[in-house]
Amino acid sequence: MPRYMADPQDKLRRVELDGLTALFHEPSGMTHIIAPPAPQILDTLAQGPADAAEILARIMQSFEVDRTQGSEAVEARLAELETAGLVSRL
Amino acid sequence: MSESKDSEGRDSLAMPSRRTVLVLGAAAASTVVTIRPALAQTAGSVLNCQIPVPSPQAGGQYIAADGSLVAPGTPGSFAPATRPLTGEEVKVMLNGGPSPAGVDPQSAQAYANYIRRLQAGMSGFTCYASLQMPR
Repeated sequence: MPRYMADPQDKLRRVELDGLTALFHEPSGMTHIIAPPAPQILDTLAQGPADAAEILARIMQSFEVDRTQGSEAVEARLAELETAGLVSRL
Repeated sequence: MSESKDSEGRDSLAMPSRRTVLVLGAAAASTVVTIRPALAQTAGSVLNCQIPVPSPQAGGQYIAADGSLVAPGTPGSFAPATRPLTGEEVKVMLNGGPSPAGVDPQSAQAYANYIRRLQAGMSGFTCYASLQMPR
């Protein structure tokens, strides 16, 4: 299972927008609008690189999660974040 | 109010006071929308844009291995690139490919680190940002 990392949080400017999050990624100069659980995934990666299962475990420390969704859904979200340049594989 | 902010004043989403239900979504759902600035949009202009190393404002300074700018002659640092690097060369270099023509691999690594540190307003940033855009 691939492990992912995110840029340091000081490379991101973040504004919460009533359920959505606007994120300015300084290294690329791009702005993204992200919806849950993407901000939470980035939060967990701020603790250090992780694979989808570890990310899910970290999320479940703070949130109730529908067990039927699991790490497959996290992997799908990671793929989107990777396409946007917000996370990268180690 | 203050209890809902973390030390940086940011809303602390990861640490709710009550356990919140987080929907992870279906495989086909999309949670990221990217707003693309009107930078170089065509493959041609991206690959032909140029990144001076270092920027003209920092002319003469050397590049340390970590990409920071240091005084000329600093041990372990590298002389500036003798010509601006093209977008195509930088793209190849950042992806772990061969160094640009006339640049030795160690210098190329330092240059790559310098380019990764570029920020808005610095010469070459627009070119670097264009290279990073998902297509």
